[in-house]
Amino acid sequence: MALLKRLIDWIDVRIGAREVVAKELTGYLLPRNINTWYSMGSILLFIFVLQVVTGILLLIYYVPDADKAFKSVTYIMNEVPFGWLIRMCHVVGSSMMVLVLLLHMISVLFMNSYKSPREFNWLTGFILFTMVQGISLTGYLLPWSQLSFWATTVATNSANAIPVVGPYLVEFLRGGKLVGPPTLGRFFALHVALIPAGIVALVGAHLFFLQRTGVSTPPFGLKDTTNQWKGDGYSYENHPGGIPFFPNYALEDLRSIFIYIACFLAVVFFDPYLFFTRDAFLPANPLQTPAHIKPEWYFLANYQTLKIFPSEFIGLAVQGIAMTFLALLPFIDRSPERHPLKRPLFMACALGGLLLWIGLSVWGHYS
Amino acid sequence: MESSGRRTFLGVCLGGLAAAVAAAVTWPVYRYLAPRSTATTAAKVEIPEKDVPEGEAKFFEFNGASAVLVRKRGDGLIALSAVCTHLGCIVQWEKDQQYFLCPCHGGHYTAEGVVISGPPPKPLTKLPFTVANGVITVG
Repeated sequence: MALLKRLIDWIDVRIGAREVVAKELTGYLLPRNINTWYSMGSILLFIFVLQVVTGILLLIYYVPDADKAFKSVTYIMNEVPFGWLIRMCHVVGSSMMVLVLLLHMISVLFMNSYKSPREFNWLTGFILFTMVQGISLTGYLLPWSQLSFWATTVATNSANAIPVVGPYLVEFLRGGKLVGPPTLGRFFALHVALIPAGIVALVGAHLFFLQRTGVSTPPFGLKDTTNQWKGDGYSYENHPGGIPFFPNYALEDLRSIFIYIACFLAVVFFDPYLFFTRDAFLPANPLQTPAHIKPEWYFLANYQTLKIFPSEFIGLAVQGIAMTFLALLPFIDRSPERHPLKRPLFMACALGGLLLWIGLSVWGHYS
Repeated sequence: MESSGRRTFLGVCLGGLAAAVAAAVTWPVYRYLAPRSTATTAAKVEIPEKDVPEGEAKFFEFNGASAVLVRKRGDGLIALSAVCTHLGCIVQWEKDQQYFLCPCHGGHYTAEGVVISGPPPKPLTKLPFTVANGVITVG
């Protein structure tokens, strides 16, 4: 112990480590009525790190070549010791990341934590959500399966709806007229380098904004649930008499992460193909679209929307409008009230939107 | 004052230089990423007439994409692109109903490629073909 103290003293006199710990960890106070939903961000960080680690391990054996990609994935699954475990963790982790991200967004939505002055937190979070969708889409081309090929064909073709530049944009995204080997090269670069770097940068920005605004107070169990921010100057939302982040809430975070790990491993070991469709097991065939092809569960609502509307442009425009509305929510919703039960109209719209999304996804699954 | 003016001048010059460098880099990067031109001569595909019996369809590769020959019941032969005009999936021939179905978003086309229902915005593209000595030549 004496040696450890001497080591800490040695570091402290050089960089003032104790001051940082006191300010950012033990002295970083959180609201007394904080709840488990505030752990979603920590779980997401954990998932992202796990995705990076398993992704790097997969890179050792994966070959980003249209002729070899499917074989290399089969080799990882069947020949490489524990290759199946690494790949399953990566595949299940990607779906779980979208699921936890949705739960994080829904909790922020219902606790009205997106309101001023947290517009930047919401916007960076929303961009992260679209980037996670992007990294998932680019990721599932890489095994070069039927699902990979046709999901990418449909997704890239969507850009065709953009007036004037649409057709060229489709060709630019694909690296040719049709999805093919050049598309795999592009999507590989996006999946393993560009989008992860973007996610890291945006997570940094998201945490920076959180650090500057302070953690929001949950609207539950309080007499006054209106937004206290007046907008007349910068102010940090502090919580005198609150719970220290370390060790108190850090342990809550850790507990939530372990509960997540239990759920995650339950899927990996007991139902690893839960998030797969059967087309994920067939090599890509550019000349035959499989019957009843379906996208991943989180794109089912988008898929069904495209099916409902008679025009490709309207189908995509509706989705674009919905996403823009969600992105700009803090600028549209200016009500100072933060308790969801005191906002019946907001609750009706939010629940209605959520049920619509679930309904479209279920419809898409069974259609 | 003089020092401040010189610093501003230097800042403007370096800013301009950085903009010029960015512009000079943009073009090669764009050209590097732009799709390679794939100018191909119009291919011709030959298929024996006996491979397309009445009421059935024969799928084949044409100019790097999927195409189909259909011989309608009691009617003539038609060559179409098999690429759905909605979002680019390959249509399937439903032999019993004698129509094309796109498995991606449920678009339906007649045997002539005309849209019956679903989201496709336009008919399947017709392909030119000739028939001579029992051989169908598409293209």
